[in-house]
Amino acid sequence: MNLKIDLDCCTRCGACVNFCPGHVLAQDEGEKPYERYPQDCWYCGVCEVECPARCVEVIFPYLIR
Amino acid sequence: MTRKMDGAEVIYADFIIVGGGAAGCMAAIRAKEVNPGANVVILEKAEISRSGAAGRGMDALNNVVVPGIGTVEEYVEAVTITADGVMDPTISRVIGERSFGILRRLESWGCEFPRGQDGNYIVNQFHPKGRFLVEMRGDLKKIIAARVERAGVRVFNRHPVLDLVKEDDRVAGAVAMDLATGDLRIFVAPAVLLAAGGGARIGLPNTGYLHGTFDCPWCNGEAWKMGYDAGAVLTGFEYTGTSSMTRDFNGPGLSTFIRHGAWMVNGLGERFMERYDPLRLERAPAGLRGKAMREEINSGRGPLAFSFAHLDESTIRLIEEGIYQAERPTMRQYFRRKGIDLKRHTVEVVMSEVYLCGGHGLAGFVGDASAETAVPGLFAAGDCLANPYGFLPGAMVMGEAAAEKAVSRGEARPSGHEGWERAKRLGQVIAQHRRGALEIPIRDFEYKFRRLVNEYVAPPKSEHKLGRFLQETESMVAEQDDLPARDPHEVMKAFEAKAGLFCARTAAMASRFRTESRFGLYQERVDYPQKDDLHWKTRVFISRGPAGPVLRKEKP
Repeated sequence: MNLKIDLDCCTRCGACVNFCPGHVLAQDEGEKPYERYPQDCWYCGVCEVECPARCVEVIFPYLIR
Repeated sequence: MTRKMDGAEVIYADFIIVGGGAAGCMAAIRAKEVNPGANVVILEKAEISRSGAAGRGMDALNNVVVPGIGTVEEYVEAVTITADGVMDPTISRVIGERSFGILRRLESWGCEFPRGQDGNYIVNQFHPKGRFLVEMRGDLKKIIAARVERAGVRVFNRHPVLDLVKEDDRVAGAVAMDLATGDLRIFVAPAVLLAAGGGARIGLPNTGYLHGTFDCPWCNGEAWKMGYDAGAVLTGFEYTGTSSMTRDFNGPGLSTFIRHGAWMVNGLGERFMERYDPLRLERAPAGLRGKAMREEINSGRGPLAFSFAHLDESTIRLIEEGIYQAERPTMRQYFRRKGIDLKRHTVEVVMSEVYLCGGHGLAGFVGDASAETAVPGLFAAGDCLANPYGFLPGAMVMGEAAAEKAVSRGEARPSGHEGWERAKRLGQVIAQHRRGALEIPIRDFEYKFRRLVNEYVAPPKSEHKLGRFLQETESMVAEQDDLPARDPHEVMKAFEAKAGLFCARTAAMASRFRTESRFGLYQERVDYPQKDDLHWKTRVFISRGPAGPVLRKEKP
């Protein structure tokens, strides 16, 4: 897990998924965003910056932390 | 124009751009300016407003010849020093001449270039000689992407390109995969620009985290592999770069810290560069700095760190603002987690993994002043073009230069038939990946060759080690098409891994061919410890021959 996504505040807009340069994120059937390919994350913070509701926080891959 | 050819969608254009990073986007905008009627297409594996090495932002343009501060001649001289004399000045001259125009253009679009107290741009020294580095703020990639849209460029996001198409020795297009569906699309055009970055995942970072690289990890030399296969010439692959990076985070800071006057200190608190390059200190060419760092670490004087204690508060604020706001906001969180405050603490620095990059080094396609490669109609710009230390301005300048030539020639559109043949062959390779006879995760394959890069290709190098690498990885080449891929994302990752292995092997071949030591740390050969200007002050060219790679000197 590289990201903390606050699903209570998430509006399911999909911005974090659309903009992730690594194609790391996806939305499930309920449109909830999740890390589908977590090992491809560069912890660049695009998801965090693009989230209009500020619900995403990069907490870094465990090997980096 | 779109057609169906035996079930596959074929899209016809005048200019296809592979990669919508800084180089690709600037090329697209320029192409529409020069020829508004041209049908210009960008094929991007991510989303162009956030893709490429500068996708999250950049806090400076490293190399701008600002009138009154630098000259083109000084710039070319500074780059030549860094390249240890082994480069073609043609492209650096074009970058020097056009870089200020790029700055003004970005400024007119809304990028901010903060002014100093004298009202002028803030221009600092980063190169061994001369001042060419201009502070920049603003959300660069968003700004450029908005211009692409306004220009009427057709953008296909989430479409990684898997191969090029040729007709009669000319480039004729590219085949891309739709990441959402896995469908292949054939794009046909008389001109193609490769602007898909360098090779980031070549060596293994000391964290062991495969995507925790210095450079953008989603660019892994795919453009190099497909361009080489099509007949373009590569150079500079023995320049296996490493950067001094913030420990574990492996993120930016180097140029920011150095240009604002931070010191590099060892575990004893000594400013160790005084021993290795007393005049240029931290601004010594990257390969020399790397060698100094390795000496310090190997002699037990680590850990090494950047020290800011001697800087005034406004300078530290400028550093923080640049990194935290313009380039990598996550670095602020990282420092917070680690309890690092630049005003009070040092930042530990390590050598990054080995990478290959045109913009931060010497590796890439050989191109002319318009960035055209040896294959007619095939251009390259950004980190996949050998544009020595061209950085962001180099990417943008050469993207523009390529576009001007590409859409001015009025070439007839190719038929597209070869595109279908190429797509058919790619379909077979993808089906093989879907079967996945190797039955191991792609990650293991990648970890294995990158671990071997650290052992055998990273400097110090030798005939024996480089030969061992090529021998050890031969079987991996034979089995690479059997890597399992369950979905389109994994197909993309398989192609990235294969390209990374191609780059690593090409680096080993070029390093072995150059029987001398050069570029400080980067081409340090223990069996040829001397620099040999008489025989080796020349580039190494690598091209595809009928029996495998052909290596030769540019000047015999």
